[in-house]
Amino acid sequence: MTQHASPPRDNTDKVPSVGQLPVWRGLLAHADVRTLSLLGVLVALILIGGITKPDEFLDTRNLQLVLTQASVIGVVTVGMTFVITSGGIDLSVGAIVALSSVWATTVATQEYGFAGILFTALIVGIGCGLVNGLLIAYGGMVPFIATLAMLASARGLALQITDGKTQIVTVTGILDLGERDSYVLGIPPLVIVFAVVTVLGWLILNRTTFGRRTVAVGGNAEAARLAGIDVRRQRLYLYLLSGLCCGIAAFLLIILSGSGQNTNGNLYELDAIAAAIIGGTLLSGGRGTITGSVLGVLIFTTITNIFALNNLQSDVQQIAKGAIIVAAVLVQRRTASTT
Amino acid sequence: MSHTTAGAMSPTTSRRGLLFGTAAFSTAALLAGCTSNETKDESPAASDQSAADDKPGKHVTIGFAGPQADHGWLNAINDNAKSRAKKYSDVTLEITEGSNDTAAQIGQIETLINKKVDVLVVLPADGKALTQVGLKAMRAGIPVVNLDRVFNSPQAYRCWIGGDNYGMGLNAGTYIGEKLKGKSNAKVIELAGLDNLELTKQRTQGFDDALKNYPNIKKVARQAAEFTVESGQAKMAQLLQAQPNFDALWNHDDDQGVGALRAIEQAGREGFLMVGGAGALSAFQAIKQDNGVLKATVLYPPTMAASAVDLARALGQGKGVSGMAEFEIPASITLYSAVVDKDNVDQYMPTGFR
Amino acid sequence: MAPESPLLSMSGITKSFPGVRALDGVDLDVQAGEVHCLLGQNGAGKSTLIKVLAGAHEPDTGTIRWHGEEVTLRSPIAAMRLGIATIYQELDLVEHLSVAENVHLGHEPTAAGFVVRRKTARASTGLLLKRLGHPEIDPARLVGELSAAHRQIVSMARALSHDVRLIVMDEPSAALDPDEVDNLFRIVGDLTAEGVAVVYISHRLEEIRRIGDRVTVLKDGRAVAGGLPAKSTPTREVVALMTGRNVEYIFPERPASGANGAPVLEVQRLAREGEFAPFDLEVRPGEIVGLAGLVGSGRSEILETIYGARKPSAGQVRVDGRVLRPGSVRAAVRAGLGLAPEERKAQALLMLESVTRNVSVSSMSRFSHGGWIDRGAEKGAARAATRELSLRPDNPSVPIRTLSGGNQQKAVLARWLLRGCRVLLLDEPTRGVDVGARAELYAVIRRLADEGLAVLLVSSEVPEVLGLADRVLVLREGRVVHSAPARELDEHRVLDLVMEGSPAS
Repeated sequence: MTQHASPPRDNTDKVPSVGQLPVWRGLLAHADVRTLSLLGVLVALILIGGITKPDEFLDTRNLQLVLTQASVIGVVTVGMTFVITSGGIDLSVGAIVALSSVWATTVATQEYGFAGILFTALIVGIGCGLVNGLLIAYGGMVPFIATLAMLASARGLALQITDGKTQIVTVTGILDLGERDSYVLGIPPLVIVFAVVTVLGWLILNRTTFGRRTVAVGGNAEAARLAGIDVRRQRLYLYLLSGLCCGIAAFLLIILSGSGQNTNGNLYELDAIAAAIIGGTLLSGGRGTITGSVLGVLIFTTITNIFALNNLQSDVQQIAKGAIIVAAVLVQRRTASTT
Repeated sequence: MSHTTAGAMSPTTSRRGLLFGTAAFSTAALLAGCTSNETKDESPAASDQSAADDKPGKHVTIGFAGPQADHGWLNAINDNAKSRAKKYSDVTLEITEGSNDTAAQIGQIETLINKKVDVLVVLPADGKALTQVGLKAMRAGIPVVNLDRVFNSPQAYRCWIGGDNYGMGLNAGTYIGEKLKGKSNAKVIELAGLDNLELTKQRTQGFDDALKNYPNIKKVARQAAEFTVESGQAKMAQLLQAQPNFDALWNHDDDQGVGALRAIEQAGREGFLMVGGAGALSAFQAIKQDNGVLKATVLYPPTMAASAVDLARALGQGKGVSGMAEFEIPASITLYSAVVDKDNVDQYMPTGFR
Repeated sequence: MAPESPLLSMSGITKSFPGVRALDGVDLDVQAGEVHCLLGQNGAGKSTLIKVLAGAHEPDTGTIRWHGEEVTLRSPIAAMRLGIATIYQELDLVEHLSVAENVHLGHEPTAAGFVVRRKTARASTGLLLKRLGHPEIDPARLVGELSAAHRQIVSMARALSHDVRLIVMDEPSAALDPDEVDNLFRIVGDLTAEGVAVVYISHRLEEIRRIGDRVTVLKDGRAVAGGLPAKSTPTREVVALMTGRNVEYIFPERPASGANGAPVLEVQRLAREGEFAPFDLEVRPGEIVGLAGLVGSGRSEILETIYGARKPSAGQVRVDGRVLRPGSVRAAVRAGLGLAPEERKAQALLMLESVTRNVSVSSMSRFSHGGWIDRGAEKGAARAATRELSLRPDNPSVPIRTLSGGNQQKAVLARWLLRGCRVLLLDEPTRGVDVGARAELYAVIRRLADEGLAVLLVSSEVPEVLGLADRVLVLREGRVVHSAPARELDEHRVLDLVMEGSPAS
């Protein structure tokens, strides 16, 4: 914190009239506190895991496991964070993951091998995102309704394609990516993809005009429009981005599960929204944090892991998950308001 | 027509099971020409023999209402019912679009009642919630064959036919117990299905009860997946991490077993025995190949839908069941949860669902 | 000074927010039956003070006495129970409920404890509206269908539906036309005659002279003067108290030589059905053209149509001779237009963001390469632009919401300055900006014009248009009724033109 004590190039001869403390310092502290409190929660969980199951929890393989399990929903959450930051919502992410994973694993697609599966997963995701974006940006539909409609249709289409059957992947190139042999320096390929998506997402949101426009549209769409931003095109791109993330996630899920099933991505929309909100992204838009979202995902995945390692059953897991959502948000609000 | 298959079946097959359960998908199907395990014949292979006298009789219209076929097993239920009905020249099957929404399913069944079908076969999305409409059909003089998920009141159906969840667990436990006999301090883990379903509790109960007969075995962990490949992979990966070594695994459902096997493969784990549940084709194939951990699976046969159509036809035509002394068909038929392993897998292969 | 204890006595009230001391030991005495005016610049602490009074904020220290007894106002309900009602500037009505439902919101007349007695509610609402001089408002109508003036009446009826002893009015005349203001003052007179006290907040000194009894002036969270006589304190003294300096003149001088050169903005037969009739307009570089007119004369609609935020039904807009694509804000911005809209918070500002980001939002491509933003360059550019306009505080990293209204407006101007815009459209640029800051804002606008910008100014305050603009177009009911150099017009003449045909003067 000390590096913030003397603001660089700050002109101090004109004292701000608003108060003694420069307000931006308070704000910076807020951002830090928010992230720190999430890190605190994660550290606490790691302590709990380490104490209850020292051998199984504090283990390279377990770290690999937790990160791998976080990868699929993590990629979806990065896309969701953009959409929520822009003041929107995407309820169709789980359904798009299902449709992409199913379409990419049909017998016909599998004949085209690795590239065919990857390409199909991404294209189906982008295509669904395009439909969402067009309906919302140019069709004037409310995001909640448009993506709810997409949720229903995509799930329906996924069921129609599979006819309720599990589509087993036989392409070895895909299956190999999920095996230990393909770990790079001990890092599973899925985790590498997750990390790349996270870093790109962070850079795009914080360092590019695209990210700025996203925040502006979410903070005040009318002001953004009158400032000369093409709000509709921005919205279209955002749902495309979310769709693309779903396509990537579907591909990861295919690698992970070695199959495509219409039940894939069940309730991803709620998990992704919960992780983003816990992370500190405003549900009303105008503020978003990729770091927070990813921490949110890691917290959820770590909880699941600790509970499974301790052989606690799903009823307890669900109760604890709910409690942790409430606790995390309350802690954040408390720390934010006292700073 | 002959029931000559008992010898090939598991020695514990009961008489009742011989008639209506495992016999319903005996080798008859194989004899009928569906002999190749490789050909992916779309029609499910319940045995050709019918439960009742199968000489063409009075024409019967059967209304069939099931849940949405969003799962391999449920899909197999629909296929079994359809192809069975097709075999009878005197049966018309009125099949509704499956729905998981209780209200929608009630509506569909009421439509069938109004159409005055002769017999109803109902696999309710929720047995309790659909009891009323079952009663309504019975009062309207339409006999109801209640498939698998049981109504609250016996008055709501004429005949119930379904699987035995408790028996599944019991047989899985017994199979594992026999295999691990003599091994001291044996460890067993369980990958259950959706925990908020009663059938999951029953399966676990049966499993636990069976293990009580084997004091050398201890169940060390249990996690619940959601009958999906994705959840099977996720929960199995966690279980494997939690248990560095164990001797046997029972997985409630072969669909989630696809994910569980994937997790086992990814973790590079072996040296234990895995038993599945339900009877998916992929499981049968793995058992036959015998190069992995999956050694057996406990049936929860979707062929029950074919039997239900048989029973409905018999009810419509006022016939009894051949091979039984009674004039009337029974009020309740519980199918036997046979264990399929390498020894008898060929026989069951055609009944495997995808 | 009063022999008996005042109705309300606040003393030593302090209230701090993160980084800001909004109130710093404020005293305020209000007598029953008086109109006590509260004056101060934006950010002086007026809003915080009335929120403390309304029970919306709890003060950090200080005491509040009601009839001489110490009270704590923990919640708006607690304040209301005492008899304190507040009418906020942004009216807090529920648009989808009826007038009667809004008036009785939270204290509906009920039968058996929960069944709303709609007839009773409507009848009593009708009586209240009659008392407020607006019997024509139907209690059954939805509030969303009412005009701004009528909504204000509804808000007042809501306050009066309680047994109210003190009413706080936050800039009640801001959205009202002159005859509606007259009605407002009549109501205020009736209330005080009944012994109700009114705390009245306004920027318009002439209003305070007309109805005020006493004035308390706030500056930087302190009460710099309490209980001044409203009618006799000289304007200059009041302004000096608010701004801390003597204001000799308000408007900057016009340049000696008038603007010449080709017009940069040309509007030809532009019209929008139901809003304004076809009109022509030219603005040259260095020129400030003013549009004067009452609420509803189509002023804002004209600006927004020129800017492309509304699609015209006829006519065209040219910048440098080139026709703009109608109904496209982006085309207008690309051509060099910039708008400072009327509703600053709702239409211009990103309230969660820093000044820098608010300033840079329209010119991001200037400090980005392939979409990547050079944040150093961005901050430097924003700093340069805000410095040029003497924006305070001189630190563009602060959140924009912490700025006063005048400085927020400067940030909007800086946005367009940075963009390099050539035509500035200003819609009510000094709304919510106090007198001292206004003079500075006028000077900034004039300087921008002197540097070659063409400015089109809309204002409901006639002196502002006359003092600032070079040329004035007078609007009445969507028509341009007169156009003349500002020097040839005076306030009376403009008001005559504006009001022509209407019964009032």
